[in-house]
Amino acid sequence: MANLLWIQAVCCGGETASLLNSDHPHLPAALRTLGATLLGHGYFHDQDTGRAEQVIEECASGKRHVDLLAVEGAVHPQAPDGSAWASAKPLAEWIRAIAQVADCTVAIGTCASFGGVMACGRNPLRATGLQFHRDQKGGLLGASFRSKMGVPVVNVPGCPAHPDWIIGTLWALRANRLDEADLDRFNRPRVFYGKLAHHACPRNEYYEFKASAAAYSQQGCLFENLGCKGTLCESDCNERLWLARTGSCTRGGFPCLSCTSPLFPDGFTPFFKTAKIGGIPTSLPLDVPKAWYVGISGLSKLACPERLRRNAVSFKPVWAGNQESNEDGPQNDRL
Amino acid sequence: MVRKTIAFSPFTRLEGDLQIRVDIENGQIVSSRASGTLYRGFETMLRGRDPLDAIVITCRVCGQCGLTHSAAAAEAIRSLLGVRMPRNARLAGNVMLAIEAILSHFTHFYLSFAPDFTEPPYCERQAQIFLPLAGSSFLRALREREALLGVLGLIAGKWPNSLAIQPGGTTRPVTASEIRRAHGLLSEYLRFVEEQVLGCELEEWLQLRSVPELERWLGSGSHAAGDLGTFAALSLRHGLTGIGSWPARFLSSGGWSGPDGETLLPPGFHDGLTREFDSARITEHVKHSWYDLRGGALPPASGETEPAPERDDAYSWAKAPRYEGQPAETGPLARLIIAQDPLIADLAKKYGPSAFVREIARLHESIRLLKQVGAWLGEVDPEEPFYQEAPQALSGTGVGLVEAPRGTLGHWLRVEEGKIQNYQIITPTGWNLSPRDSVDEPGPLETALVGVPVPDPDRPAAMAYVVKSFDPCLYCTVH
Ligand code: SF4
Ligand code: SF4
Repeated sequence: MANLLWIQAVCCGGETASLLNSDHPHLPAALRTLGATLLGHGYFHDQDTGRAEQVIEECASGKRHVDLLAVEGAVHPQAPDGSAWASAKPLAEWIRAIAQVADCTVAIGTCASFGGVMACGRNPLRATGLQFHRDQKGGLLGASFRSKMGVPVVNVPGCPAHPDWIIGTLWALRANRLDEADLDRFNRPRVFYGKLAHHACPRNEYYEFKASAAAYSQQGCLFENLGCKGTLCESDCNERLWLARTGSCTRGGFPCLSCTSPLFPDGFTPFFKTAKIGGIPTSLPLDVPKAWYVGISGLSKLACPERLRRNAVSFKPVWAGNQESNEDGPQNDRL
Repeated sequence: MVRKTIAFSPFTRLEGDLQIRVDIENGQIVSSRASGTLYRGFETMLRGRDPLDAIVITCRVCGQCGLTHSAAAAEAIRSLLGVRMPRNARLAGNVMLAIEAILSHFTHFYLSFAPDFTEPPYCERQAQIFLPLAGSSFLRALREREALLGVLGLIAGKWPNSLAIQPGGTTRPVTASEIRRAHGLLSEYLRFVEEQVLGCELEEWLQLRSVPELERWLGSGSHAAGDLGTFAALSLRHGLTGIGSWPARFLSSGGWSGPDGETLLPPGFHDGLTREFDSARITEHVKHSWYDLRGGALPPASGETEPAPERDDAYSWAKAPRYEGQPAETGPLARLIIAQDPLIADLAKKYGPSAFVREIARLHESIRLLKQVGAWLGEVDPEEPFYQEAPQALSGTGVGLVEAPRGTLGHWLRVEEGKIQNYQIITPTGWNLSPRDSVDEPGPLETALVGVPVPDPDRPAAMAYVVKSFDPCLYCTVH
């Protein structure tokens, strides 16, 4: 059995809550596929292996081998964060020490990866990620850090991360199926972060014709008015789906805020509105040149079928049949 | 007399960073101090931001009850604007918040509370079903979660950190076929509760109205073998009925208000008599907390959060909320006492607000809520709207009180020129694990720990059970 040491740092417990939601497989089976004993975790630490803080010390001193170090939450490198490990060292120092001896270190969630919500605004506590501060290399461990396995900190962002991303990354590392070539520019495994949240969003057809929702609960695309960042957010949420594969942010009717990005949350304000200059959104879809966007969207608006035009601003389906009988106006639009 | 001071931290199977310092004399706790040790600064993060940002930011206060935080933020904005949500949104909102509460209660029971019986000094064979990642009950509870998550996904899209509750209503209209699907998933979860948690039908449990009726119920084989029955037997055997009481004052802002304004569990303040709840009677004290003392005890609407880590006369990052100047307990037990739930009221009469009664109340509330989720789903009318555009919050004050899984949650907000000027949060664990106040009166847990036996300081099992019976979430407390 390998040892997986899971440390909860400056966090909200959200990554753990998400981990518990693992289905296909459920968490106990998922952990079995890792062939690892979970150490140090608030819920799963086994007292028989010793008190958690004692185990942490043994891991840091090399007495107990750490195959995988998983950190949930940002760190406060400067200030002693007073976190509960009874010993004298602040948590950030323990993490620094264990990262040197662990085979591999994984940052679970956007806070551990980039600082995330814990580092937002003026960030007076100077919270940061393990090897990135927002989109800049550095963080707690420094730009040149390599684990014993020779890879940088593997980032599994998301606020919180999808359970598949967490389990899948840990499994790939255990199985020697992941090395630096499999990581993107922010050291995220491409297999999970190589697509866009926009892919497979049920609103795709509305997006194509720029048939946009004007208010929540309407069926149209959330990009033009309601602040959706799905077209520039690198994740596979709408293909993978959440919560027993029933939903996602945009399926839930609210915008993707690009929570897997190093700049989340402050890089994506206003959250619920689309910033525009001269009627054109300031943050255009990833890789799409502005001139093309303007040209195509103007054309597609003109080409938009009536069915989409009406449904986009209706909270419930307006069927083709109704359309004919309602020729005078969108009477089915109850909002 | 030998007096020893011992600090316990971290606690295993607990959310967040908590330190408990206790003074022990003759193997008993004579006084205690609860410290929240991790400061993250959410209230100061919000200054100067768009009011709607509070929905996004505050739901990251806590990974387990984030939806409730965002609901409180949305409610604070609604109260500033003086608008209401459409009926469907109130129903869908209730379903989401109730599911978040049930998930939280069962996570607490299976992951945090029950497994302790498998360890020394208890080492109960009967508790092996609760063994983490191995016991049969533990495994099934984790697996069955999927059905409830499916219902949540159909209504809230994703979780943790759904943004489906907005000032104007809920963002996802639910169709008739989705309501049917949700009912189906719910009945799968119900079957788990009936087969494994109770060993009988939901209705049979819900008919219990007194301690003798409960005792008779526990006497039957299928009930005794259920998880609740096993927990009750273990608790009685190990004296969880006799620890963790305090001269309790209970508080609830009213839980799960129905579409027509009535609340499933009504608001109130109870100190022997139940009186009306008025949020204007709340103040927060910082004499023993690492914040600037200038303000003294302030109402949250004009509260201040100025960290002062250098103060060595303080011991917690949590402030001390008080109702009419006095500490108060909040959570499922408080809600059910104020709602005059016959079973819980009778249990509290016999065993006091002890660790056992607190835990039973949590399970009982989950079961009541589970029944209610189905009823609310049935009332949703897919033909009617879920959302009505709300104006922008430009200036004014608002308060959002919502019953979170662990108790009363309040968000207070002041907006000027479209920006947040002040934001204050008081969380359930803030009440329950509050430090001492301006007149050095301890918080509920601090008082409840007095008298608890600690025969072996390496294994403070009874103490841990008293702490856990409050289901503390230290993420929430120190936000
Ligand atoms: S709502 Fe967002 S993710 Fe969905 S189609 Fe529109 S832009 Fe893409
Ligand atoms: S859809 Fe966007 S905001 Fe939502 S979880 Fe996925 S990446 Fe995060």
